[in-house]
Amino acid sequence: MSAALRSRSLSLYSLPSSSIFQQWKLGFPALERAFSSSANRGLLDLQEVEKVLSDVKADDVKVIPANDLCEWADFMVLATGKSAWHVKNIAQALIYKSKQKQKGAQRLVLPSVEGQEGGKWIVIDSGKVIVHALDEKARAYYNLEDLWSKKKPEEDTIQDLEKAFVKIRPKNNSKRKPKPALKRA
Amino acid sequence: MIQPQTHLNVADNSGARELMCIRIIGASNRRYAHIGDVIVAVIKEAVPNTPLERSEVIRAVIVRTCKELKRDNGMIIRYDDNAAVVIDQEGNPKGTRIFGAIARELRQLNFTKIVSLAPEVL
Repeated sequence: MSAALRSRSLSLYSLPSSSIFQQWKLGFPALERAFSSSANRGLLDLQEVEKVLSDVKADDVKVIPANDLCEWADFMVLATGKSAWHVKNIAQALIYKSKQKQKGAQRLVLPSVEGQEGGKWIVIDSGKVIVHALDEKARAYYNLEDLWSKKKPEEDTIQDLEKAFVKIRPKNNSKRKPKPALKRA
Repeated sequence: MIQPQTHLNVADNSGARELMCIRIIGASNRRYAHIGDVIVAVIKEAVPNTPLERSEVIRAVIVRTCKELKRDNGMIIRYDDNAAVVIDQEGNPKGTRIFGAIARELRQLNFTKIVSLAPEVL
Protein backbone atom coordinates (compact mmCIF):
# COMPACT_ATOMS: atom_id res chain seq x y z
CA MET A 1 0.00 0.00 0.00
CA SER A 2 2.51 2.54 1.12
CA ALA A 3 4.92 1.43 -1.56
CA ALA A 4 2.23 2.06 -4.10
CA LEU A 5 1.55 5.47 -2.72
CA ARG A 6 5.21 6.33 -2.56
CA SER A 7 5.94 5.28 -6.11
CA ARG A 8 2.87 7.09 -7.29
CA SER A 9 3.81 10.29 -5.58
CA LEU A 10 7.33 10.05 -7.00
CA SER A 11 5.99 9.68 -10.49
CA LEU A 12 3.73 12.62 -9.88
CA TYR A 13 6.48 15.04 -9.04
CA SER A 14 6.45 16.23 -12.60
CA LEU A 15 2.73 16.87 -12.52
CA PRO A 16 1.21 20.01 -11.02
CA SER A 17 -1.23 18.03 -8.90
CA SER A 18 1.50 16.41 -6.83
CA SER A 19 0.89 18.65 -3.87
CA ILE A 20 -2.51 17.15 -3.23
CA PHE A 21 -1.13 13.66 -3.41
CA GLN A 22 1.56 14.61 -0.97
CA GLN A 23 -1.17 15.54 1.43
CA TRP A 24 -3.05 12.35 0.78
CA LYS A 25 0.05 10.32 1.26
CA LEU A 26 0.32 11.64 4.77
CA GLY A 27 -2.98 10.03 5.57
CA PHE A 28 -1.46 6.82 6.86
CA PRO A 29 1.77 7.74 8.61
CA ALA A 30 1.73 4.63 10.78
CA LEU A 31 1.58 2.36 7.77
CA GLU A 32 4.26 4.38 6.07
CA ARG A 33 6.58 3.85 8.98
CA ALA A 34 5.77 0.17 9.29
CA PHE A 35 6.62 -0.52 5.70
CA SER A 36 9.54 1.80 5.17
CA SER A 37 12.10 -0.51 6.75
CA SER A 38 11.26 -3.47 4.54
CA ALA A 39 9.99 -1.43 1.66
CA ASN A 40 10.47 -3.54 -1.42
CA ARG A 41 11.67 -6.78 0.07
CA GLY A 42 8.32 -8.16 1.07
CA LEU A 43 6.08 -6.95 -1.66
CA LEU A 44 6.14 -8.79 -4.93
CA ASP A 45 6.89 -6.96 -8.13
CA LEU A 46 5.42 -7.61 -11.53
CA GLN A 47 8.05 -10.00 -12.88
CA GLU A 48 7.80 -12.23 -9.82
CA VAL A 49 4.04 -12.26 -9.96
CA GLU A 50 4.12 -13.22 -13.63
CA LYS A 51 6.61 -15.98 -12.98
CA VAL A 52 4.55 -17.45 -10.13
CA LEU A 53 1.41 -17.30 -12.24
CA SER A 54 3.08 -19.14 -15.11
CA ASP A 55 4.47 -21.72 -12.64
CA VAL A 56 1.04 -22.54 -11.24
CA LYS A 57 -0.38 -22.59 -14.78
CA ALA A 58 -2.93 -19.86 -14.35
CA ASP A 59 -4.92 -19.38 -17.55
CA ASP A 60 -5.35 -16.18 -19.47
CA VAL A 61 -3.04 -13.95 -17.47
CA LYS A 62 -3.61 -10.33 -18.31
CA VAL A 63 -1.60 -7.38 -17.03
CA ILE A 64 -3.28 -4.00 -17.13
CA PRO A 65 -1.09 -0.99 -16.35
CA ALA A 66 -3.31 1.02 -14.05
CA ASN A 67 -0.84 3.76 -13.38
CA ASP A 68 -2.74 6.51 -15.13
CA LEU A 69 -6.17 5.03 -14.40
CA CYS A 70 -6.04 5.27 -10.65
CA GLU A 71 -3.52 6.35 -8.09
CA TRP A 72 -3.71 3.49 -5.65
CA ALA A 73 -2.19 0.78 -7.84
CA ASP A 74 0.29 0.47 -10.71
CA PHE A 75 -0.66 -2.86 -12.21
CA MET A 76 -3.75 -4.98 -12.23
CA VAL A 77 -3.03 -8.62 -12.95
CA LEU A 78 -5.96 -10.85 -13.85
CA ALA A 79 -5.63 -14.62 -13.83
CA THR A 80 -8.13 -17.42 -14.27
CA GLY A 81 -8.10 -20.67 -12.32
CA LYS A 82 -9.75 -23.86 -13.49
CA SER A 83 -11.47 -24.59 -10.19
CA ALA A 84 -11.86 -23.22 -6.69
CA TRP A 85 -8.84 -25.27 -5.62
CA HIS A 86 -6.78 -23.90 -8.44
CA VAL A 87 -7.73 -20.33 -7.59
CA LYS A 88 -6.80 -20.93 -3.95
CA ASN A 89 -3.51 -22.46 -5.04
CA ILE A 90 -2.68 -19.39 -7.09
CA ALA A 91 -3.15 -17.26 -3.99
CA GLN A 92 -1.15 -19.66 -1.84
CA ALA A 93 1.70 -19.70 -4.35
CA LEU A 94 1.91 -15.91 -4.32
CA ILE A 95 1.96 -15.80 -0.53
CA TYR A 96 4.59 -18.55 -0.47
CA LYS A 97 6.72 -16.64 -2.94
CA SER A 98 6.47 -13.54 -0.77
CA LYS A 99 7.54 -15.56 2.29
CA GLN A 100 10.45 -17.09 0.38
CA LYS A 101 11.56 -13.68 -0.74
CA GLN A 102 11.99 -12.39 2.80
CA LYS A 103 13.37 -15.52 4.40
CA GLY A 104 15.38 -14.75 7.51
CA ALA A 105 13.93 -11.29 7.88
CA GLN A 106 12.93 -10.25 11.37
CA ARG A 107 9.48 -9.19 10.41
CA LEU A 108 7.46 -10.60 7.55
CA VAL A 109 5.41 -8.27 5.40
CA LEU A 110 2.78 -10.34 3.69
CA PRO A 111 0.41 -9.18 0.97
CA SER A 112 -3.16 -8.81 2.14
CA VAL A 113 -5.48 -11.43 0.74
CA GLU A 114 -9.22 -11.15 0.38
CA GLY A 115 -11.63 -13.97 -0.37
CA GLN A 116 -9.29 -16.79 0.58
CA GLU A 117 -12.00 -19.15 1.84
CA GLY A 118 -14.36 -18.78 -1.10
CA GLY A 119 -12.22 -19.63 -4.08
CA LYS A 120 -14.30 -17.67 -6.58
CA TRP A 121 -12.42 -14.42 -6.54
CA ILE A 122 -9.26 -13.91 -4.53
CA VAL A 123 -7.48 -10.57 -4.50
CA ILE A 124 -3.83 -10.49 -3.48
CA ASP A 125 -2.91 -6.91 -2.75
CA SER A 126 0.88 -6.65 -2.68
CA GLY A 127 1.23 -2.90 -2.73
CA LYS A 128 1.47 -1.59 -6.24
CA VAL A 129 0.60 -4.86 -7.94
CA ILE A 130 -2.93 -6.13 -7.39
CA VAL A 131 -3.50 -9.72 -8.46
CA HIS A 132 -7.03 -10.92 -9.08
CA ALA A 133 -7.39 -14.69 -9.25
CA LEU A 134 -10.86 -15.61 -10.44
CA ASP A 135 -12.63 -18.73 -11.63
CA GLU A 136 -14.04 -18.64 -15.15
CA LYS A 137 -17.59 -17.79 -14.10
CA ALA A 138 -16.56 -14.96 -11.83
CA ARG A 139 -14.26 -13.55 -14.49
CA ALA A 140 -17.07 -13.43 -17.00
CA TYR A 141 -19.47 -12.04 -14.39
CA TYR A 142 -17.37 -9.19 -13.07
CA ASN A 143 -15.67 -8.45 -16.41
CA LEU A 144 -12.79 -6.62 -14.81
CA GLU A 145 -10.71 -6.14 -17.94
CA ASP A 146 -13.55 -4.25 -19.55
CA LEU A 147 -13.88 -2.02 -16.51
CA TRP A 148 -10.16 -1.34 -16.25
CA SER A 149 -9.49 -0.76 -19.92
CA LYS A 150 -12.43 1.60 -20.29
CA LYS A 151 -11.92 3.50 -17.08
CA LYS A 152 -10.89 7.04 -17.86
CA PRO A 153 -8.26 8.85 -15.85
CA GLU A 154 -9.31 10.87 -12.85
CA GLU A 155 -7.38 13.93 -13.94
CA ASP A 156 -10.37 16.24 -14.34
CA THR A 157 -11.71 15.53 -10.86
CA ILE A 158 -8.26 16.08 -9.43
CA GLN A 159 -8.03 19.44 -11.12
CA ASP A 160 -11.41 20.37 -9.70
CA LEU A 161 -10.22 19.39 -6.26
CA GLU A 162 -7.09 21.44 -6.71
CA LYS A 163 -9.19 24.46 -7.59
CA ALA A 164 -11.29 23.88 -4.51
CA PHE A 165 -8.26 23.84 -2.28
CA VAL A 166 -6.79 27.09 -3.60
CA LYS A 167 -7.43 29.98 -1.30
CA ILE A 168 -8.73 33.02 -3.13
CA ARG A 169 -7.79 36.37 -1.70
CA PRO A 170 -10.88 38.55 -1.15
CA LYS A 171 -11.25 41.49 -3.48
CA ASN A 172 -10.18 44.83 -2.10
CA ASN A 173 -13.35 46.89 -2.01
CA SER A 174 -12.12 49.70 0.17
CA LYS A 175 -12.59 53.23 -1.10
CA ARG A 176 -9.22 54.41 0.10
CA LYS A 177 -6.72 55.17 -2.65
CA PRO A 178 -4.01 52.55 -2.62
CA LYS A 179 -1.01 54.77 -3.38
CA PRO A 180 -1.13 58.51 -2.75
CA ALA A 181 2.36 58.83 -4.27
CA LEU A 182 0.98 57.86 -7.68
CA LYS A 183 -1.69 60.57 -7.52
CA ARG A 184 0.89 63.30 -7.12
CA ALA A 185 2.91 62.16 -10.10
CA MET B 1 -23.16 6.59 12.15
CA ILE B 2 -25.38 3.82 10.90
CA GLN B 3 -27.56 2.07 13.44
CA PRO B 4 -30.46 -0.35 13.17
CA GLN B 5 -33.42 1.25 11.37
CA THR B 6 -31.16 3.52 9.29
CA HIS B 7 -32.10 3.57 5.63
CA LEU B 8 -29.22 3.44 3.15
CA ASN B 9 -28.88 3.82 -0.59
CA VAL B 10 -27.28 1.06 -2.61
CA ALA B 11 -24.11 2.01 -4.47
CA ASP B 12 -23.96 -0.93 -6.89
CA ASN B 13 -25.94 -2.59 -9.67
CA SER B 14 -27.02 -5.59 -7.59
CA GLY B 15 -30.69 -4.71 -8.03
CA ALA B 16 -31.49 -3.42 -4.58
CA ARG B 17 -32.31 0.25 -4.27
CA GLU B 18 -32.77 0.92 -0.63
CA LEU B 19 -31.66 -0.97 2.47
CA MET B 20 -32.52 -0.75 6.12
CA CYS B 21 -29.86 -1.69 8.63
CA ILE B 22 -31.04 -4.25 11.16
CA ARG B 23 -27.78 -5.33 12.79
CA ILE B 24 -24.13 -4.35 12.89
CA ILE B 25 -21.63 -7.18 12.65
CA GLY B 26 -18.85 -6.97 15.21
CA ALA B 27 -19.20 -6.74 18.93
CA SER B 28 -22.36 -7.95 20.66
CA ASN B 29 -23.83 -4.60 21.53
CA ARG B 30 -22.36 -2.28 18.97
CA ARG B 31 -24.19 0.97 18.48
CA TYR B 32 -22.94 2.57 15.31
CA ALA B 33 -21.36 1.44 12.09
CA HIS B 34 -19.01 3.58 10.02
CA ILE B 35 -17.34 3.31 6.64
CA GLY B 36 -15.98 -0.18 6.07
CA ASP B 37 -18.24 -1.95 8.56
CA VAL B 38 -20.41 -4.89 7.62
CA ILE B 39 -24.08 -4.69 8.47
CA VAL B 40 -27.05 -6.98 8.12
CA ALA B 41 -29.80 -5.22 6.21
CA VAL B 42 -33.24 -5.73 4.74
CA ILE B 43 -33.99 -4.72 1.18
CA LYS B 44 -36.72 -2.12 1.38
CA GLU B 45 -36.94 -1.37 -2.29
CA ALA B 46 -35.64 -3.33 -5.26
CA VAL B 47 -35.46 -2.94 -9.02
CA PRO B 48 -38.06 -5.23 -10.66
CA ASN B 49 -36.89 -8.46 -12.33
CA THR B 50 -33.58 -8.72 -10.52
CA PRO B 51 -32.30 -11.59 -8.36
CA LEU B 52 -32.67 -9.54 -5.18
CA GLU B 53 -36.17 -8.96 -3.89
CA ARG B 54 -37.89 -6.74 -1.37
CA SER B 55 -37.72 -7.89 2.27
CA GLU B 56 -34.72 -10.11 1.64
CA VAL B 57 -32.06 -10.14 4.37
CA ILE B 58 -28.55 -9.51 3.06
CA ARG B 59 -25.13 -8.34 4.19
CA ALA B 60 -23.70 -5.04 3.06
CA VAL B 61 -20.52 -2.98 3.49
CA ILE B 62 -20.95 0.71 4.24
CA VAL B 63 -19.07 2.81 1.68
CA ARG B 64 -20.38 6.33 2.27
CA THR B 65 -21.70 8.06 5.36
CA CYS B 66 -23.03 11.49 6.09
CA LYS B 67 -21.09 11.37 9.33
CA GLU B 68 -17.63 12.67 8.58
CA LEU B 69 -14.62 10.40 8.36
CA LYS B 70 -11.43 11.85 9.78
CA ARG B 71 -7.98 11.02 8.53
CA ASP B 72 -4.76 11.41 10.46
CA ASN B 73 -3.65 14.30 8.27
CA GLY B 74 -6.70 16.34 9.21
CA MET B 75 -8.63 15.62 6.06
CA ILE B 76 -12.34 15.15 6.65
CA ILE B 77 -14.52 13.24 4.21
CA ARG B 78 -18.27 13.58 4.33
CA TYR B 79 -20.77 12.43 1.74
CA ASP B 80 -24.29 13.54 1.00
CA ASP B 81 -25.81 10.12 1.51
CA ASN B 82 -25.44 6.91 3.42
CA ALA B 83 -24.65 4.16 0.95
CA ALA B 84 -23.71 0.49 1.10
CA VAL B 85 -22.61 -2.26 -1.27
CA VAL B 86 -24.38 -5.63 -1.11
CA ILE B 87 -22.05 -8.57 -0.48
CA ASP B 88 -22.59 -12.28 0.03
CA GLN B 89 -21.38 -14.41 2.94
CA GLU B 90 -17.95 -14.87 1.34
CA GLY B 91 -17.47 -11.13 0.87
CA ASN B 92 -17.89 -11.05 -2.90
CA PRO B 93 -19.98 -8.12 -4.10
CA LYS B 94 -23.36 -9.11 -5.55
CA GLY B 95 -23.26 -6.42 -8.18
CA THR B 96 -20.59 -6.07 -10.83
CA ARG B 97 -20.18 -2.30 -10.83
CA ILE B 98 -20.06 0.29 -8.08
CA PHE B 99 -21.27 3.86 -8.39
CA GLY B 100 -19.90 6.99 -6.83
CA ALA B 101 -16.75 7.83 -4.95
CA ILE B 102 -15.34 5.52 -2.32
CA ALA B 103 -12.92 6.19 0.53
CA ARG B 104 -9.44 4.74 0.45
CA GLU B 105 -9.90 3.32 3.95
CA LEU B 106 -11.82 0.41 2.47
CA ARG B 107 -8.59 -0.97 1.07
CA GLN B 108 -6.99 -0.97 4.51
CA LEU B 109 -10.03 -2.75 5.85
CA ASN B 110 -9.48 -5.47 3.25
CA PHE B 111 -12.29 -4.68 0.85
CA THR B 112 -9.96 -4.52 -2.15
CA LYS B 113 -12.61 -6.09 -4.37
CA ILE B 114 -14.97 -3.20 -3.79
CA VAL B 115 -12.17 -0.69 -4.28
CA SER B 116 -11.12 -2.28 -7.56
CA LEU B 117 -14.68 -2.09 -8.90
CA ALA B 118 -15.16 1.53 -7.88
CA PRO B 119 -14.93 4.32 -10.44
CA GLU B 120 -13.22 6.75 -8.10
CA VAL B 121 -11.22 6.35 -4.92
CA LEU B 122 -10.89 9.32 -2.60
